[in-house]
Amino acid sequence: MKTNRFASIPWHILFIGLIIILIFPIIFAIGTSFKPLQDAYNNVLNFIPISPTLENYQTFFESLDVVKITFNTFIIAATVTLFKVFTSFLAAYAFVFFHFKGKNILYFVLISTIFIPFSVTMIPNYLVISDLGLADSVWGVILPQLADAVGIFLLRQSMKTIPVSLIEVARLDNLGHARIMKDIVLPLVKPAVTSTGIWFFILSWNEYVWPVLILKTVDNYTLPLALQMYISSEGGTNFTVAMAVAVITMIIPLTLYLLFQRYIIGTFTSSGIK
Amino acid sequence: MKEIRFEHVSKSYGKTEVVKDLNLTIKEGERLILLGPSGCGKSTTLRMIAGLEDVTSGSIYMDKQKVNDVPSGKRNVAMVFQNYALYPHMKVIDNITYGLKVKKMSADEIKHRTDAALEMLQLKQYKDRLPKDLSGGQRQRVALARAVVKQGDCFLLDEPLSNLDAQLRVSARKELVKIHETFKQTLVYVTHDQTEAMTVGDRIALMYQGKLQMVDTPDNVYHRPANIFTAKFIGSPPMNVVDADFQQDKLLFNKQALQLSPEWSRFIQETGATELAFGTRPEHIHLSKIPLDNSITGQVKQVENHGSSYGVYLDVEGQEWIAMSETKNWLPNETVHIEIRMDKIHLFDKETTNSIGYPKNFYGE
Repeated sequence: MKTNRFASIPWHILFIGLIIILIFPIIFAIGTSFKPLQDAYNNVLNFIPISPTLENYQTFFESLDVVKITFNTFIIAATVTLFKVFTSFLAAYAFVFFHFKGKNILYFVLISTIFIPFSVTMIPNYLVISDLGLADSVWGVILPQLADAVGIFLLRQSMKTIPVSLIEVARLDNLGHARIMKDIVLPLVKPAVTSTGIWFFILSWNEYVWPVLILKTVDNYTLPLALQMYISSEGGTNFTVAMAVAVITMIIPLTLYLLFQRYIIGTFTSSGIK
Repeated sequence: MKEIRFEHVSKSYGKTEVVKDLNLTIKEGERLILLGPSGCGKSTTLRMIAGLEDVTSGSIYMDKQKVNDVPSGKRNVAMVFQNYALYPHMKVIDNITYGLKVKKMSADEIKHRTDAALEMLQLKQYKDRLPKDLSGGQRQRVALARAVVKQGDCFLLDEPLSNLDAQLRVSARKELVKIHETFKQTLVYVTHDQTEAMTVGDRIALMYQGKLQMVDTPDNVYHRPANIFTAKFIGSPPMNVVDADFQQDKLLFNKQALQLSPEWSRFIQETGATELAFGTRPEHIHLSKIPLDNSITGQVKQVENHGSSYGVYLDVEGQEWIAMSETKNWLPNETVHIEIRMDKIHLFDKETTNSIGYPKNFYGE
């Protein structure tokens, strides 16, 4: 097929423009995090700090237990991710390879939960968690998030590309479902599992509303909650420190994304495997 | 090695009955071909033996044991799928040994069996490749090797050669017969290809619309078809089956008549059949431009090149016939004389479509 090199120029201009819009806040945050507060107010659009300083990071590390907060964030994100991927994997396997009555209806009901706004479930979930005595605990944040229909959807799409005969060969060899999942299905849907996992991890890492409802003590805070302390009415508008916290918050998800980006792009553009 | 027996087996998906009241015994160690057009229920039948499909009613036995409720993993059958079903992420050698390792077989025994299979199927140099780096024929051989090393009681093949090109198919089916002669497992082979059925099978079970039409040796299925469907399905081009009336010792096609042999006349009288369908294979028809004894006439419609011979389409009293001829000098609308080998004819009851049988001491060969 003949392609016209020049026809793509307008597209390239559009994409470059979009990339600038997306990258701008990140550069702004990194630049501002190294500026003294005064400087930040005076030279808002000057991204490169005139007199770079680490004092914003220093303030953050001195005023809060950063290690504990990062650890809280990690524990929540990692546990939520592991469980969501695990439960989604089991459910997707059942939806693809089992035949049972009402399968399609059940799948429809599960998938429709994706469209229930968080604000609808927020209060009931909060009441249950506080009745369980898990308010102000990371486990209270984790518990309602152990399964997710989005994960079931993504993994099911990926597993549907596996020929059923592969599973049948395994069944003829007297393999149990656990073994089939581990030895055959998992290796074949690994890209989808990885990207779904990273997707969940980043969502949970950045989560704000649900943790702010549950977590009360500063020691139990997650990074997004710590960030908020510096731009709220109580914390004042110390936004250079807020930017420093933002940069720290960004590091782990960004690293994960860079490491696994080819899987992620693959899963969201196609079904994941050939 | 086991005998497989179907007793009144039916299989339905919802309201669609895909296998209807199947009664069939597959003898220990034989090669039975399940043959039929697509959608006839042959694959479903095979999958019921494997336990991959439940039986809706009736029973399947392996030797004395009823296996309806025995899970597929406990039936000790090996199966080759049409798409080969190789694990894409495993090397050839792992694909072959995986099932054995799961069974916790000793490493020595695994090596012994695998080496033999790799040798027999000429796969040695490919053992460390992934399936995606193999050709269709090689993949098919890996699938065979994986089934062979299992040394199951039954060897089930679901259209194993249909994804191969014509040349490879011929060599692959010879290979398959050779493998079977080595292991002598009960082999059930599903295909829609009558040539494969004829060349591979000890017996052929022909199915159509979920019903078993005939089970017999390739020779009998070809020479003594049990009904019109079998007669027309086996053989290429298909057998001519046309309406005919029986009178005294003649077969009448509208105003034209063919003289029957005394054996046939007596036999038809004995069976008392009147409404008949007459069958003759295209290769048993001789065409001539000059009149012959005991012949009828028809008009040439079309001539088709078959390579070694020509297929001539004829109009005989308003019914279409096809005859094989060694020459192609037949002109459209030309009237030709049709001589039929009366010792190779077939007669069917028009109503039941079943064969009325053959006279005693009649050898179809």
